[in-house]
Amino acid sequence: MTETTNLLPGPAPRNGRSLAVAIGGNHYLLSVVSVLVFLAVWQIVSMNVPPVILPAPLDVFTAFVTLTASGELVRATVQTIWPFAVGLVVAFVVGTVLGLVLGIFRPAARILDPYIFVFWSIPNIAWLPLFIAWFGVGNLTLVVFVFVSAVFPQLLTVESGAKETDSFLVEVARSLGGTRREILHIVVLPSALPYIFAGLRIAVGRALVGIIVGQLLIVATGIGYMFQFYGETLSLAKYFAPLIVIAALAVLLNRGVNWAERMLVPWKQHAFA
Amino acid sequence: MPELEFVNLRKSYRSPRGDDLLALADFSLKLGGGRFVSVVGPSGCGKTTLLRMAAGLIIADSGQVRLDGAELTAPSPKMSMVFQAIGLMPWKTIEGNVALGIQLQVHRRALDAAEMERVHATIALVGLKGFEHYYPHQLSGGMQQRVGLARALVRQPEILLMDEPFGALDAQTRAVLQDELLSLWGRVNSTVLFITHDLDEAIYLSDTVVIMGRRPGRIKQVLDVKLPQPRYSYDARAEAEFARLRSIAWQSIKEEL
Repeated sequence: MTETTNLLPGPAPRNGRSLAVAIGGNHYLLSVVSVLVFLAVWQIVSMNVPPVILPAPLDVFTAFVTLTASGELVRATVQTIWPFAVGLVVAFVVGTVLGLVLGIFRPAARILDPYIFVFWSIPNIAWLPLFIAWFGVGNLTLVVFVFVSAVFPQLLTVESGAKETDSFLVEVARSLGGTRREILHIVVLPSALPYIFAGLRIAVGRALVGIIVGQLLIVATGIGYMFQFYGETLSLAKYFAPLIVIAALAVLLNRGVNWAERMLVPWKQHAFA
Repeated sequence: MPELEFVNLRKSYRSPRGDDLLALADFSLKLGGGRFVSVVGPSGCGKTTLLRMAAGLIIADSGQVRLDGAELTAPSPKMSMVFQAIGLMPWKTIEGNVALGIQLQVHRRALDAAEMERVHATIALVGLKGFEHYYPHQLSGGMQQRVGLARALVRQPEILLMDEPFGALDAQTRAVLQDELLSLWGRVNSTVLFITHDLDEAIYLSDTVVIMGRRPGRIKQVLDVKLPQPRYSYDARAEAEFARLRSIAWQSIKEEL
């Protein structure tokens, strides 16, 4: 045990850790406490308002179990996940590839950027009636709508990432004899990788909005339709079940993206880890 | 013997106001034979322009850079460059960054056993054995520049181009790396073209010091440093000859400031 040389005036700092430090140092515990406090507040509020305004946490839990046991919730989840996943994956691939191309070949960007900007500026929802006319009331429309919702944030984020490539590193690679292709592989792609993940994070959120809006307003299937149905019939305890599914899906996807980023971008330093 | 030759180099840049700024004019110099040549001069005298031309990164408006008699128009596998800002790939480990020196030289991603052996030997040579799997941001500035040196040396270059490689380091680290550079140079037989604005550094390291004048950049004076190598084997900076050269060089540069 070595003694710290204390050059500070006044009494030496206390050795024991304070409660705040103890809890603050344990992020997991902090999250658990936060959830418990939230549930307690919810319970107290729900006891003082009618159940059509806010159901109690326990009623929500019972409704969740019932809907799961009947298979309704699982069926709806599957109906939601399929078009969501297909639309998101295609948007990710197209957005990433096109974003890289536009970021690297500036003439291509000059041709396409105005169109992209116009499409990106139009509120997604405005497309929906047109997609129904083109693709009918069904999964194809949902897939296309999810795709359109997710592709632009992916594309624009990756494009700006590729543009941000450090020109000095490109020069270093060139001085070592790197060809265009080698420089793309060694400098441009790795430096765009954090942006690919940043884009994906936004794309996932927008795709989720897309699938719910599409199912709620138009196609009347899956989780989106459950919102509509239980909302209109004021069965609020049941309304919360699909809400929980969507929240879980969102958290899961976000964690997945974070995990993949940590695996693939090990060199990145986080200022606020 | 490898030989790098500058023949009547001329290069100008377009200034923001639209007129041409002559960075380098009628610059001719020949170096080689495994000698250590430094170019010093006030900032803005075209030193870096000269080195970038030597590396084949930019092309002169007129005149030629010749490497072993052939005109140089692109970076050559016979040369390596070390930069002041180092330029390590943040996403590659130390091993990966040094390996890059060979990969971009032979245009092959997979290195054979002998080449990997060379990568590891060079990392050990610059004193970084054990740090192969670290990322650049985990190393100090001095250690990062050792990696920069290893990436250059692993190519076994005929000509080593160095652009103020120690300019961003603290004084102690700089002194240590200067000695290590001399020791490495003694082992690899490369010709070195070293750019710096630090007179002491130039005299301490070099066989020949080229002093540049500015507007336009041109050779003003050439000084041969007759102090025996390796200079770290005795206190070269304390020699009377060192002080004499320093005084001459400083007079010469002062006129350009």
